[in-house]
Amino acid sequence: MSPRPATASRIARCLRALPAFVFAALFAPHAAAYLDPGTGSILLQGLIAGLAAAATFLSLYWQKAKALWRSWFGGKSRDDGDDAGPR
Amino acid sequence: VASVTAVPGSFRDPGGRVWRVGDRILRTVMPSAAPHYEFARDSGLLARLEERGALIGHAEVDAAVLGDAAAGARYVLEHPRLPFVSHPYEWPFAALQAAALLQLDLLLEAIAAGATLSDATAYNVQFRGAEPVFIDTLSFRRYEEGSYWLGHRQFCEQFLNPLLLRSHLNLPYHAWYRGSPEGIAAADVARLLPAWRKLAPNVAMHVVLQARLQAGQHAREKAEAAVARGGGLSRKGFTDIVRGLRVWIQGLEPAQSNKTAFADYATDNTYSAADTDFKARFVAEYAASARPAVVLDLGCNTGRFSDAALEGGAGYAVGVDGDTDALDRAYAISRKRKRPLLALHMNLSDPTPSQGWAQGERAGLAERCAQSCDGVLALAVVHHLAIAGNVPLAQVVRWIASLAPTGVVEFVPKSDPMVQRLLALREDVFADYDEDTFARALEAEAEIVARETVPGTGRRLYRYARRAPGRA
Repeated sequence: MSPRPATASRIARCLRALPAFVFAALFAPHAAAYLDPGTGSILLQGLIAGLAAAATFLSLYWQKAKALWRSWFGGKSRDDGDDAGPR
Repeated sequence: VASVTAVPGSFRDPGGRVWRVGDRILRTVMPSAAPHYEFARDSGLLARLEERGALIGHAEVDAAVLGDAAAGARYVLEHPRLPFVSHPYEWPFAALQAAALLQLDLLLEAIAAGATLSDATAYNVQFRGAEPVFIDTLSFRRYEEGSYWLGHRQFCEQFLNPLLLRSHLNLPYHAWYRGSPEGIAAADVARLLPAWRKLAPNVAMHVVLQARLQAGQHAREKAEAAVARGGGLSRKGFTDIVRGLRVWIQGLEPAQSNKTAFADYATDNTYSAADTDFKARFVAEYAASARPAVVLDLGCNTGRFSDAALEGGAGYAVGVDGDTDALDRAYAISRKRKRPLLALHMNLSDPTPSQGWAQGERAGLAERCAQSCDGVLALAVVHHLAIAGNVPLAQVVRWIASLAPTGVVEFVPKSDPMVQRLLALREDVFADYDEDTFARALEAEAEIVARETVPGTGRRLYRYARRAPGRA
């Protein structure tokens, strides 16, 4: 693991990276086919991939934000991160 | 020596072609497709799918069988011959749905094995009775992490959108699909759907948004950049899209579907059970004597007389009918009983034409019958074509006899209540509609082998056999 910078600056950095992350998800490797896949289909799939990536990203940082909250106000956590939220 | 002919409709992917040599179906695998074929073969994917019946079988054979046609090919494969080739615009709703699910299942299984499908064309699915089978062994390509589902649009146009027309709008898709054999565009479906339908996430994504993105400004440049740049759709994202579509499509039903698929549909006519049994016996006797390998049932309804032919000794039945509900039932019965009857939508006064590229890509009814059918059933059909369709009686008879070398044809006289019903609102302009004209027309085409009157009616059953040998 790399040295841990201050949590707040990490969150800020990741949020700055979000558009690039979604953007990157729009682009796939060279995929030659005899079939024209269609503009709308490719953009739609990129969008779905972007949304999925954004959801993953946000859920990751939601976990971190919760951990941060607990470290500030929670004292000892009730359990070891096994929260009751949706799986 | 049997001549080698290229099967029209297999020319789009330069990775391989399908050939017919006599009754054998062969496929060349060109060097460009060979590594993909080897990967699918060596990973065990092909064998697994073939064993389950989801993919048509194949065997590698000596290239000599194709002569010059095998030039440049890395492999020559042989496939079992299907009894009858059909087109997606002829399939009833549940058949198109089953074909769509097969396509998605194959894709999911391919991805799990590190492969993908190069396209999603509905023409890669055929039927054995009610069971769909994937016929393109060369569609499997090695999956590259991050790649898009290149067949997504094609899948939507050739499976999803026609199903939505019937399911969300109660529009039979057959005529539209036949007139647009590459499929129905998302933009067209989006224009028809009511606003509340567009709120459903699946419709919003695969229909509305896809159509919008397709037409958006600079969309083409953006998509080209996306494909060129690389990155992308994760394997999980890919499978999630496919799984989502699968769940959605599995839940689709025809609008106003009649859940009682086995209702007494056949009772909505003037025939008694005794008439039907009599006709069934006549058909069974014909099948026992002529032993047709594939019998074409014109106006099949739910397939009652195909059943008789199959019980009598016919090998396989192809039932065609223009009644969407009857066909849905015919398909449901075939599926439930594993009956070797393929139910296809067709208006008999306008049978499926040969069409597509060079008017040969998708064979019409006559061409396919010449290749596959050696028997025909035309029960309670002639009066519909001659009176409802205004086709001269002799032409109707000639057309039926042209479809197969042997068969059973029923003549329904003008005095029959069903014919009277057809004439009730119109002038009787059918001076030549009588049994004498019918019999003379049939005799001009074939030998009349048997003739019986359906007891208690004026209806007459004819069994014919064409005089000239072969399937000219």
